[in-house]
Amino acid sequence: MLEVFKADVVIVGAGGAGLRAAIAVADADPSLTVALVSKVYPMRSHTVAAEGGAAAVTQPHDSLEHHFNDTVTGGDWLCEQDVVEYFVAHAHEEMVQMEHWGCPWSRRDDGHANVRAFGGMKIERTWFAADKTGFHMLHTLFQTSIKYPSIKRFDEHFGVDLVVEDGRAQGVVTIEIATGEFRLIQARAVIIATGGAGRVFRENTNGGIVTGDGMALAYRHGVPLRDMEFMQYHPTCMPRTGLLFTEACRGEGGFLVNKDGYRYLQDYGLGPAEPSPRNKAMELGPRDRLSQAFWHEKKKGRTIDGPLGSVVHLDLRHLGERKLRERLPQIYELAEEFLGVDPARTPIPVVPAAHYTMGGILADGKTAAPLAGLYSVGECSSVGIHGANRLGSNSLTELIVFGKVAGVEAASFARNVTNSNADVLKRQADAACERALGIVTRQGGAERLAVLRNEMAKSMESGCGIYRTGTDMQATCAKIDELKARYRDLHVDDHSRVWNTEWLLAIELGYLLDVAQAIVYSALNRKESRGSHQRLDGFEQRDDANFLKHSLATYAGAAAPRISLSDVKITKSMPGTRAYGAAGEKAEAQRKLQGAAHG
Amino acid sequence: MSQPRNEVVGGRRPYRRSMTGWWRRDPFFVRYMIREATALVVAAYSIVLLAGVLSLAQGEAAWNAWLAAMRSPISIALNLLMLVGMIYHSYSWFEIMPKTMPAMFVGGKRVTAATITMFGLVAAVAAALALFAAAWVLRP
Amino acid sequence: MAEAGKTIEIEVLRYRPEQDAAPVTQSYRVPFTDDMSVLQGLQYIKDHLDGTLSFRWSCRMAICGSCGMMIDGRPKLSCKTFLREFHPGKLRIEALAHFPIERDLVAGVDDFLVKLESIKPYLIPKEPRRLDEGEYLQTPHELERYEQFSSCINCMLCYAACPQYGLDSKFTGPGVLALLHRYNADSRDGGRDERMQLVNAEEGVWSCTAVGYCSEVCPKAVDPANAVNQNKVNSAKDYFLRFLRPRGARNGASK
Repeated sequence: MLEVFKADVVIVGAGGAGLRAAIAVADADPSLTVALVSKVYPMRSHTVAAEGGAAAVTQPHDSLEHHFNDTVTGGDWLCEQDVVEYFVAHAHEEMVQMEHWGCPWSRRDDGHANVRAFGGMKIERTWFAADKTGFHMLHTLFQTSIKYPSIKRFDEHFGVDLVVEDGRAQGVVTIEIATGEFRLIQARAVIIATGGAGRVFRENTNGGIVTGDGMALAYRHGVPLRDMEFMQYHPTCMPRTGLLFTEACRGEGGFLVNKDGYRYLQDYGLGPAEPSPRNKAMELGPRDRLSQAFWHEKKKGRTIDGPLGSVVHLDLRHLGERKLRERLPQIYELAEEFLGVDPARTPIPVVPAAHYTMGGILADGKTAAPLAGLYSVGECSSVGIHGANRLGSNSLTELIVFGKVAGVEAASFARNVTNSNADVLKRQADAACERALGIVTRQGGAERLAVLRNEMAKSMESGCGIYRTGTDMQATCAKIDELKARYRDLHVDDHSRVWNTEWLLAIELGYLLDVAQAIVYSALNRKESRGSHQRLDGFEQRDDANFLKHSLATYAGAAAPRISLSDVKITKSMPGTRAYGAAGEKAEAQRKLQGAAHG
Repeated sequence: MSQPRNEVVGGRRPYRRSMTGWWRRDPFFVRYMIREATALVVAAYSIVLLAGVLSLAQGEAAWNAWLAAMRSPISIALNLLMLVGMIYHSYSWFEIMPKTMPAMFVGGKRVTAATITMFGLVAAVAAALALFAAAWVLRP
Repeated sequence: MAEAGKTIEIEVLRYRPEQDAAPVTQSYRVPFTDDMSVLQGLQYIKDHLDGTLSFRWSCRMAICGSCGMMIDGRPKLSCKTFLREFHPGKLRIEALAHFPIERDLVAGVDDFLVKLESIKPYLIPKEPRRLDEGEYLQTPHELERYEQFSSCINCMLCYAACPQYGLDSKFTGPGVLALLHRYNADSRDGGRDERMQLVNAEEGVWSCTAVGYCSEVCPKAVDPANAVNQNKVNSAKDYFLRFLRPRGARNGASK
């Protein structure tokens, strides 16, 4: 029995992006019904774990051009520059909007919102709420969304397929987790805001729910996934669990040291080392560079080896307990409770871990996918602002700037179309239900879920790690292909319908495998090093002539995805050298001179 | 918006666990129940004192009878028990008192709950001592 | 995975409505290391011993609020409770108390969401302000007055700790009342009068008997007991001052 709910706009994913989009639709047109679907209660969405802050040009000596340049440079020139221009121009108003909705931004003494330094940013522009910015933004958005009667939430509803008819996205098929029954949510526009896919990797900062659901759904319906090979490794994470120690630790002045107590980043073009934090230098360099430095230190045998593996130390002792408890309270708690380490007295062991998916569903500057009626926003989408490497604190801003765009666009689209015949849509939905049901009703099978998942994660870590080689990537391609085949023989213990989480994990594994395949095949195809995709097998340099291009992965069912390339939109910033530290300042001065010369 | 799921659909059969004996399940609850029970001790003692006041109103004979009853061994034992109850009552009262107050700041720093409780206890002890001193000075 | 030898017995209260008339206990033996959380123990069971065990979880770092359950009779977050604390004894786990069990360790928490939505949990600005006028000003001290109450992760451990909620679920409860107070105490908010009705109601602050266990178990030091009980004073003041000051004369922005 398939229940049907008719909405005007349906949003899959109720994290920061999904909630902002829902509010935007409701504001744009209160007469539109917005169905907000989430496989977890909204406050569990992984936005909640983001810590450091959200960037927006604020200080008088800052400028949109600086933020633009920082972002495009940080992205190693793979950004859609016109989209970045829109992004930096609309960031500040969204921060103010959040504040008007009650977000408890940390303040200066004069009552204005405070901003702090962040990696790769020339001037302090990161708004923050203690060290729980994502938490506060998510709860503010969720609580604000309650004001709008036109937003109908479908909490703990798991998306299993899109309904696409007449070349348009027209709804989502869901499982109501509490009952195991299916519900079709029909709509005239669909926004996907389902987050990233970090769980394809073994050590990652992500919550269990970050399994690339929406990416896989769009992908399976022919929408390309763009720039999937660019996976961000966050340099300071807890060993083994991968839990995040925010970049703000470094923004507040923390040091990264190796086994000799040496601030090793100065050996990697990020120096010179100075006692206080300097923007775009040392520990405030971009994340890809810092993670790569760790890899080199490990090769040189300069990391600290212990029961938690090879680590480096995040030294916060010189900040003092008082400042730590005030500015980084959550970090303090994490270190003490999970590691038994008092950061005011002992350095914290950290390693890089998979953190953020730069790539995602192909989206234009208005978040629209090539498939009519489909929009994507947030980490699941590739709207073009992060390029080959994301700067910290740009993604929280992305959620609200483009969340609003997605909502407005979807509302406008929905007003101008009507749904296809309801029976046709229902038949499609029924077919999707059959496929999903097949997983839970199947008997026998030789493969265990956890085994397949662990093999995938281990292989992705080795093939698509911080540094990559063709051989390793080939091996991972083969492995993922093999796992996709073995997945068809999956064994499930649980054949019930009420709260069957094994069923959901099995469907999620399917999503993860498809996304993993897109990642590794895209990575293999990119024969250069750029941003967070770094190779050691003869392709160590950036190759703008051949690869100043996006990668597009197109689904091919059981076969390997087809990888193609597309142009990058360049407006103001021509590809240059990514220089940080002292080298960066010199390059900046040179650029200024040249700019002055050209008048 | 969320709707209370009064009607249960599909295979759902939510199971409601019993609250019988809830307060025995956790030492915290046991302490709470003792705290609440000591209110009865306070009530009992007020009745004893009230009886004394009424006896006083009825004249010397009634008053002496009440005093004699108070001096009996059983009465002294009961009074000691009630005293223990009252002390615990006072202590637990000041322990929960900070929860009833908005945050207080002295010199820019937040006053902790422990500080408030301590002040309360000290004030209570001081008042009791003052009362004893007065009774001693005014003794017949 | 696990190093040499250490195991712990985990006894879980199972409940599969499609086959069980009532909850039953089931024991599992789980190998563990000192840094493993109870959540990781449950994941081990699901991955390797019994795929039918259902439980909620996500962030693993005590910020999403999903993994609340009764661990040895106390409401705790399973991601932040460590197996080593219970070894060599047995560890008993069941779904969060005072909520109905939907399945295994999954409690039915719709009631919490309904209550959360009922208190107008959003900023009702005291004064209007356009976006181009920038942010409202709020000093660090003003922020401090409510920041603690804004840290609630909606984990509902306080509801599992509150016997009044357990005895009568009409009580709005500690977490939601703390959120209500968060907004009333925010210097930018002018919606206090609108929320007063809920505060004053029987199911508002007056169902609370200051047990205080909610604040004990709160993993984020929100201190909901304080939020509820200081509002008893506000509620009493409101009741008596009502006779002196007509309602609606104050500038409370309406929805």
